[in-house]
Amino acid sequence: MIMRPGQRLLMPVNPTFLWLTLLFALLANMLANMLLWGRAAWAPDVLSIVLVFWTVHQTLRVGMAVAFVAGLLVDVHQGGLLGQHAMAYTAMSYFAIMAHRRLLWFTLPDQAVQVFPLFALAHAVELVLNATVGGAFPGWSVVLAPVAEALLWPVVSWMLLAPQRRAPDPDENRPL
Amino acid sequence: MALASLGRAPPPFFRQGPSAFSRLLVFSALALLVMVADARFQMMQPVRSVIASVLYPLQWLAMQPLALTQAARNRLASFTADESAWAQLQQKLSEQSLRANQVDQLQLENKRLRDLLALRQRLEQTALAAQVLYDAADPYRRKVIVDKGLVQGLRLGAPVLDERGVLGQVTRIFPLVSEVTLITDRDHATPVVNARTGARGVAYGETSGYADAMELRFMAANADVAVGDLLTTSGVDGVYPAGLPVARIEKIERRTDAVFARIYCVPLALVSGAGHVLVLDQAASNELGRPVPEVEPKPDKIGGRR
Repeated sequence: MIMRPGQRLLMPVNPTFLWLTLLFALLANMLANMLLWGRAAWAPDVLSIVLVFWTVHQTLRVGMAVAFVAGLLVDVHQGGLLGQHAMAYTAMSYFAIMAHRRLLWFTLPDQAVQVFPLFALAHAVELVLNATVGGAFPGWSVVLAPVAEALLWPVVSWMLLAPQRRAPDPDENRPL
Repeated sequence: MALASLGRAPPPFFRQGPSAFSRLLVFSALALLVMVADARFQMMQPVRSVIASVLYPLQWLAMQPLALTQAARNRLASFTADESAWAQLQQKLSEQSLRANQVDQLQLENKRLRDLLALRQRLEQTALAAQVLYDAADPYRRKVIVDKGLVQGLRLGAPVLDERGVLGQVTRIFPLVSEVTLITDRDHATPVVNARTGARGVAYGETSGYADAMELRFMAANADVAVGDLLTTSGVDGVYPAGLPVARIEKIERRTDAVFARIYCVPLALVSGAGHVLVLDQAASNELGRPVPEVEPKPDKIGGRR
């Protein structure tokens, strides 16, 4: 296994944690929609960040099938065209799989720059699909959504990797 | 350190499954199939219901803070605001009681006249009060979710009103909640009549991304419309009962090179931020029956444009 110099060895991921974070990301999206900003076009999609994160870090567990199903769930919750998020997440997941070996050689801010096109692609796919079936244009603030998602990437990465950065043999000097 | 404690397992050498690109093709084709079946043939409602039932516990969980904040806001609403609102309501009540008395007499008169003319009686409508839970998150459409569903006996296509005017119509029903498409949605058309002139027209939703408005289309450039005219439902669609206020005309653009004037209207109902709404029961007005086309559609033409 070739790794970037200075990169830490990580503990294996807990599968329960992985699926729970995906569920919580969906819940976070719903909460933001219901409580905070309704149908704002610039709202960052937390679920897409978490999906890309696990696709990059756990390619063997989370792939396009998970992205597809997650997209269907989002579509039913949002009440839009069924399948638009499934399509967008599938495309995003494909490019995440393509980039997953390269991406981990970079630091977190550099990774954020590299995942920005993925999020932009997902939103572009939705925009094109909705323009095809005659949806309204959501306004130019929609370009802010991938920017917000890329900015959230380092934060989400740091949080989701925290359980794997623990010591394999905790003692009183290293309780976690 | 044991090798099993490392976070990165080496990739499998032989059993790698189908390539990423072929999986991309398969899932994209599947998504496309779902979209066509949904948008073009409206066949995905059972799938949607199943997924919605799976999703409901999560939605319920997300709605709990919403209910809490609403309760807190109601409790924290200041006493003076309540008092002034109460005074306003009292005034409104006294105004309306006067009108209600007049309406009683007018109804009596109307009934006699209709009996005289042997007209069909205007059918009584029953209504169900509902609460708007949240805006549907899709920024490409204008929909809200209300807290009544199949269990409470809601019907597809039932008109939804608030205290100011027409808000929209129920377009999708789940067991406990349902989706209401607002009159400002791009795909929503409301048959209206100009209350001043009696000219019929169709008002479409017009969402520019900034403001939610409506557009009264297909009015001739020299038609008699003026800024401030009230548009009410005309009732020709069999969905909305006649005479409900819909919108007020805000801006008229007449251009010499266009056959039709561009007429923008502002909906009277609170399309953003509606709280309590009324869902009319559609059973009564459907008893009239829709007109049936006498000519049979040609069998070779399947799935025409909506």
